Amino acid sequence: MAGISPTDSSPATGPALAMTGGAEPVPEANRRPADLQLATGIVLIIGSVLLPAVLGNPYWTHNFTIVSLFITVAVLQNLLLSDAGQVSFGQGAVFGAGAYITGIVSGLWGYPLAVGFLSGIATSVVMGLLFAAPALRVQGFYLGFVTLSAALVFPEMLVAFSDITNGINGIALPVPALKEDVFGSLNWIAILAMALACLSLVFHAWFRTTALGRKMRVAAVSPEAALTLGTSPGQLRFIAFTIAAIGTGVAGALYAASIEFVSPYAFKVDLSIFFFFSVIVGGSGRLIGPVVGTAILYLVPNALLADLASYRLLAYGAVALIIMLVFPDGVVGTLQRALRRYRARSGMAGIDFKTVLVESAAVSRDAETSIGITIRKARKAYGKMVALNDVDVEIAPGEVHAIVGPNGSGKTTLLNVISGLARLDQGEIIIGDADATRKSAYLAARLGLGRTFQTPRVFDDISIWDNLQIGADASISGRSSWLLQSLEKYRPRWSRELPDSLPHAQRRLLEVLRALAMDSRILLLDEPAAGLSSEERHDLAGLMRMARDKMGRTVVLIEHDLGLVWQVADRITVLDAGEIVTSGLPREILADPRVRNLFAGAPPEGAANA
Amino acid sequence: MEELTIIAVRGLGLGAVFSLVAMSLNAVHRASGIFNFAQGSMLVLGGIIAALYMPNVPDPYRWALFLPVAAIALALVMTVQGYITLLPLRSSVEQHSWLVSTLAVSVLISAVILLLRGNSQILTTSQFPSFPVFGTRTPAPYIMVIVLAFIWYAALRWFHSRTLTGLSISAVAQDLDAARAAGLRVRKLQMLAFGISGLIIGSAGFTAAPILAIANDSGLAYVTNGFVAAVVGGIGSDTGALIGGALVGVLSMYTAFAYGGEFQNAVTLGLLVLVLMIKPEGLFGTPAARKV
Amino acid sequence: MLETRNLHSGYGRVPVLRGINLQLQPGEVLLILGANGAGKSTLLRTIAGFIKPTAGEVRFDGAEVSGQAPEELARRGLRLVLDGHRVFPNLTVADNIRLGAAMHGGKPSFETLAGPAFEMFPILREKLHQPARELSGGQQQMVALAQAFAAKPKVLLCDEPSLGLAQALMPPILAFLKDWARNGTAIVIVEQQIGLALSIADKAIVIDRGEEKLSGSAAELSNDPRVRQIYMGDAR
Repeated sequence: MAGISPTDSSPATGPALAMTGGAEPVPEANRRPADLQLATGIVLIIGSVLLPAVLGNPYWTHNFTIVSLFITVAVLQNLLLSDAGQVSFGQGAVFGAGAYITGIVSGLWGYPLAVGFLSGIATSVVMGLLFAAPALRVQGFYLGFVTLSAALVFPEMLVAFSDITNGINGIALPVPALKEDVFGSLNWIAILAMALACLSLVFHAWFRTTALGRKMRVAAVSPEAALTLGTSPGQLRFIAFTIAAIGTGVAGALYAASIEFVSPYAFKVDLSIFFFFSVIVGGSGRLIGPVVGTAILYLVPNALLADLASYRLLAYGAVALIIMLVFPDGVVGTLQRALRRYRARSGMAGIDFKTVLVESAAVSRDAETSIGITIRKARKAYGKMVALNDVDVEIAPGEVHAIVGPNGSGKTTLLNVISGLARLDQGEIIIGDADATRKSAYLAARLGLGRTFQTPRVFDDISIWDNLQIGADASISGRSSWLLQSLEKYRPRWSRELPDSLPHAQRRLLEVLRALAMDSRILLLDEPAAGLSSEERHDLAGLMRMARDKMGRTVVLIEHDLGLVWQVADRITVLDAGEIVTSGLPREILADPRVRNLFAGAPPEGAANA
Repeated sequence: MEELTIIAVRGLGLGAVFSLVAMSLNAVHRASGIFNFAQGSMLVLGGIIAALYMPNVPDPYRWALFLPVAAIALALVMTVQGYITLLPLRSSVEQHSWLVSTLAVSVLISAVILLLRGNSQILTTSQFPSFPVFGTRTPAPYIMVIVLAFIWYAALRWFHSRTLTGLSISAVAQDLDAARAAGLRVRKLQMLAFGISGLIIGSAGFTAAPILAIANDSGLAYVTNGFVAAVVGGIGSDTGALIGGALVGVLSMYTAFAYGGEFQNAVTLGLLVLVLMIKPEGLFGTPAARKV
Repeated sequence: MLETRNLHSGYGRVPVLRGINLQLQPGEVLLILGANGAGKSTLLRTIAGFIKPTAGEVRFDGAEVSGQAPEELARRGLRLVLDGHRVFPNLTVADNIRLGAAMHGGKPSFETLAGPAFEMFPILREKLHQPARELSGGQQQMVALAQAFAAKPKVLLCDEPSLGLAQALMPPILAFLKDWARNGTAIVIVEQQIGLALSIADKAIVIDRGEEKLSGSAAELSNDPRVRQIYMGDAR
């Protein structure tokens, strides 16, 4: 469902690090796929309303006005679903609230239409916030059931409170001024609806280029990664529901004016399902998906089965089911995939470790003051299992500090408590000079922590450049990242390429670069060498040294590959069963027989005579 | 006093329907992680079988003959649905396609009912006389569906702990990888779980038909109420489903008496949100079950 | 009985194995050694069908089986015992063991299925009707092995049987495996601790960063100083 997935689909093959240089002149159109989709969407919306208007066909002008309003809701549902990862089966209720309150305030109570519109929109926002509240606690199908249930209840409430809503009789809302033809059969409502649909598309496209938009997409795919980038997924969900509710409310208010009548039957649960299916059928996550999806779901039954209204529901269900089974990426997604497969043959950009090293090293500024981490008497237990027991670690500013130990020794727990993804039972953590013991992950990140994960959290549906930009967005210094500035010349190319076909080593590099782009003072690397070849490991070591020497970063390295650890670590802490075995310089550690036994086991007994 | 009895008895009867929906949801969820949004439509289908084949003049023998027919028919329908739902999960990384496909099946069933029977409520005659419970005449299906809920509860317990196939399904639920390593054919067992879920829901719909609101669009209300019962009791726990259903049923019936039927769903929605915000693991669930 | 040729695989797009070749005859015990993160578990999971190889092949019982589902391979007699003594926690010990033979239709009597396992691990007989979650880690490992034993596989793959267990528990477990191999079952054991299982192995390989670094008879490798060097990152 989520538009961007870090999941891997195909194993990467081919050369590892040094791929085609990124700085070659950009071939063919320099246009990003989003721009093309945006333009197509706008042309489709405007064309569909204008054409029948010019031909003077009021029936189809009206139909496409409604389609434009539905498109608006679907575009925002798309944002909610794929950018924010929130399953809502209840957007029809948000839409209905906007429409109904407009009807009540202007149609029943006789206030001016502007007042009606504003009240309607405000009510929709309240509905949206009601959906957002459970989203803070639960996700996925739970949220699906809650919102579905709300969509069921909404029309029942319209009937139940009939003294306010006029019950099943509905409310008439005549708006003669807006319904007057301006040109052909084009009236003001049609113009507003058309403009609103275009605006929602432009907004969605623009939103994705903003820092907030990028953060939202990251949080949708990996709340953990979002936390380590200093953002709170809960806040982002709230924002997403609010944004969707505002636009949906405007569309609802216009809908009431367009039909000039509201009744509970228009806002049954089917409408919510229609909006959701529009996104799925068109292709969730694709900008233009909702335009195509709404068109298919609305027009096919209306045009082909115009006389058989009862077949509509059948068509919705059948189309959605078939799309899900045969084209899970939706119509637009499937086309796009086919197109990309065709284009992929013409060569891919890549990130070159060495070039990046040279480029960024050349412009790196004077090292800022480094900060360290102090961990005192740290204790963390999961149930009966004690993962960390009385652990003291001193990570000095500006050093590469490796933490090693067998499986289950508590290394990752240690990293998680430092980065705030887990909370200590006892003890304290000082980052720089700030107490981070009780800080949640996104606040800890703002103290200057950047982190990578065992499996790189690279976001496949946003461009390579945006993957880096996510880091710069989270920059704690608030300045534009010098790292990105130094890579500026790759920007045109990396902005067009998605990282989904990058081999593993380059994805790893991308993630490390992103952490560096945060201007983090401390880099936490969780098994960065996993899956790298020896040559790539060598380059990785170079990158860590550069981060330390040229950028003044402190590096905390968790690694199984002892070879790499001997190469780069200034200090090493050895953990076993949640306790510190020893901590010291590499040569001290290497000479320690306890460490040897820990990693290779006790010398074999009786093996020779077996 | 009489009113209280009516609320209690009919509430428990309605609650047993929700319990059965919840148990049938659990049956599929345990084995596959899927929550079938079409489960309410399946209940309605079971009810329609009763409406179609039960005569207006009560005939208990005919009823007894058709009960297994309804259960098996729904088991077949749901096995097919299971096959379709599990199909994209074979290769795709899209792990939530089932949200869409089960909802689509629900819409499809509603649409077919609408086409064949229109949008009016479909009525069924009870095949058994009503009888007094604590002095109030109670239509037999209220009591029968409570008995059915207990029968299924016991049958599921026996199946999951005594039969090799039931144990296999439990194993799949407990540790998918270990189950595959042990040579259990996960996909077949999951489809079987869909089938069992169909047996439960088919028999429930058939038995409760005279007291259900059987219409093209009533499926979603039943599945959401069943889901609330499952959440209140703790997802995955049949004991929880039994108790959660009773709670939701009595609450719902009380709401209908005190404030009117149109508030029933609103109140259960409130209960759902309340439980999710305060104790998302429910009464008998494990906190881990909440992971989403 | 079991053979891999130039086997490559990984998790998602993270490459882990880079060209592993191994061969195993019925009744042989092969020990796979390697440091943490070397790719040992990935190797077993690839052979057992949980991970699709990116290149190379797995041959079992004379046929190429790469890419087949793990449950189908298990039914044909290629049985993996996962690491971390994984049992079905809410089922009783007896039911756990019965499930091992579920694919044979549950026909053979319980005693024939589990008799030899009970002889070696008498404690299991006492705990027969307790849920497996109440057992200690070592006892769970015994249940996991007894369950695999009940399946009568041709090849047994055993992923770090010592993981999380007290050292004292290992001798009976290893003895059980050795006895099992004597009856013609080919056994692959993955271990991180060098000394632990060499005594019962016929041959061993050492893998490092997904590549095979050393191979030979168990006796040769137990005296080879290079093994420890590989473990310590080749530092001198």
